[in-house]
Amino acid sequence: MNLKLLLEALALGFSTGTYCTMYCAPVLIPFLCGTEKSSYKRNALLTGTFLGSRLIMYFILGAVFSALGLLVTEFFDPVLARRLSVYAYILCGAALLLNSFGAHSAHTGCNCVPLKRIGNDWVTAALAGLAVGLHLCPPLWTALVRSVFGGNGASGFFYFIFFYIGTLPFFLPLFGIPFITKRIAVVKQIARITQMLTGIYFVVFVGLIPLFFY
Amino acid sequence: MATLVSILLSVLMAAVVFFYVIVMGNFSGAAWVYGLFLIYLFARMTFAEQHNKGSGVKYRRIFQIVFAVFFCISFISRLFAERGSMAITSGAMTNSEIPFCHIAIPQVLLPFTITRDIIFPARVSGHYASIASMLCIWLALTFTIGRGWCSWVCFYGGWEEGFSHIGKKRRLNLLAKNKEIREFQFGFFAFIVLASLGAMSAVYCEWFCPFKLVTEFSPMNTIPGLIAGVIFIGLFLSLVVVLPILTKRRTQCSTLCPFGAFASLTDKASLFSVTIDTQKCKGCMKCASACPFGAIDTDTIQLKKGRPELTCAKCGECIHVCSEKAISYSFRFTAHCKKPEAKNNFERTLQLFLEPAQLFRFAAFSFGVIMSDSFVVDSLSIIFSQITHFSK
Repeated sequence: MNLKLLLEALALGFSTGTYCTMYCAPVLIPFLCGTEKSSYKRNALLTGTFLGSRLIMYFILGAVFSALGLLVTEFFDPVLARRLSVYAYILCGAALLLNSFGAHSAHTGCNCVPLKRIGNDWVTAALAGLAVGLHLCPPLWTALVRSVFGGNGASGFFYFIFFYIGTLPFFLPLFGIPFITKRIAVVKQIARITQMLTGIYFVVFVGLIPLFFY
Repeated sequence: MATLVSILLSVLMAAVVFFYVIVMGNFSGAAWVYGLFLIYLFARMTFAEQHNKGSGVKYRRIFQIVFAVFFCISFISRLFAERGSMAITSGAMTNSEIPFCHIAIPQVLLPFTITRDIIFPARVSGHYASIASMLCIWLALTFTIGRGWCSWVCFYGGWEEGFSHIGKKRRLNLLAKNKEIREFQFGFFAFIVLASLGAMSAVYCEWFCPFKLVTEFSPMNTIPGLIAGVIFIGLFLSLVVVLPILTKRRTQCSTLCPFGAFASLTDKASLFSVTIDTQKCKGCMKCASACPFGAIDTDTIQLKKGRPELTCAKCGECIHVCSEKAISYSFRFTAHCKKPEAKNNFERTLQLFLEPAQLFRFAAFSFGVIMSDSFVVDSLSIIFSQITHFSK
């Protein structure tokens, strides 16, 4: 695969990474600030789980589109993108709420074992990552379209991977979260409230209401 | 000497009022009436404070309630003149003609920093409530009175100020829950900021602002519009009317207002703060009960923190009820500096004139005068014209 195309992919990711911040910040910031055991390693692994799941969802979408015989260069349905976004919000909101009620409520979480299991931090990071991957933002679509110009599957795959790597610098500040939560204890409690409100907002206001009434 | 200082301050305020209210109001009858009312209010406040520390607080309450009521009269009448209703029209949305209020500032800043897009459908400049003018006002207040805006100027807070003084007795005491309420306010603030970034729209204005009911609202001709309407009405009735009456506190300002939380965070940059003299404090907790913003807890007093919590809005209610005179306004950056001893009457008068309490009240009231002039004069003109019309 030629170097010029890889650099283009990196530059595309780096120049449009603010979109990723817009979709991920409301999910990741309260979630990472509110986790019970706060350490740099755990924080980095949770962020990695989230980002990994998001990448997996992109590949799932790619596989589904190609299985349906849809060419990204010709097919872009804004209605489908909007519908997918609504499902993304509902799934992501549900994951955040399960985490709020299962793992975070009243210091140690509720006593319901299945809820605690499904709402644990790792499952939440993975589910939220998969959900956020459903948002088909314009930069993602641009990357998908450009990736097919490589001429073969492998080059397209690497184009997309490098695009994704290009967006990652925007997530670097998240690694400093334990530095704050260890010093200002109240941040954890505030983040949990934010997470619960965000979960409700995602499920009801940008999830169910648009699903049924728009 | 104290009387001389009070007279001097009142004369200075009269000059401010003359320029901003009477001259700017084209010497109209309404401008004269409001101008004289303001001068009277400030003079009474200053003389009351000289007589008994903290007793001028009732004039602050009167000012804020009057501003809130007249602001709404003026704002709604302007909406009717421009659009024919209080409902936001699609034309106003597409032409970005929605008036921008200070509560929207925290929602706009982060998306603008990241994407350079202004997510609120308002004009950037030129309009009487444009984004640029509101940002300038916010910057000026941040460096001067800080969160004092909420208790001295905010035209929405005046509604709660009024309702919280309707009942004589407190029927619901939230003192033990102060910490949790503060945490909720900052949690809600963070949610609003992040959700506005995610949705690229002013989430608080779309779904959670109780003051839509007394300003403008989305038309309720769709199910989402109806849901939003029910939320606005529910929040207004519960947080602005019922809970302030029951708790004698400003519940919307201390639980939901994102600008209040934001102003609390930026208040560190303001010139003035409130301090508690831990030597004089007897721990009676009257200040904690009186605080409408829940900024004084049992811990604040018992741990001898020497200052209220982050959400203090410098309203002066605690100063008013403190029988030990242990609470006062101070300069934030010179709080630990020793005051030089005055050698003669002139220096003593100057020291009295430059007291932080005097300067803070002057700055806060001036802010109120500047913000309120056009709205109140406008409302009074409408009322006077209606009276003249009916008397004919």
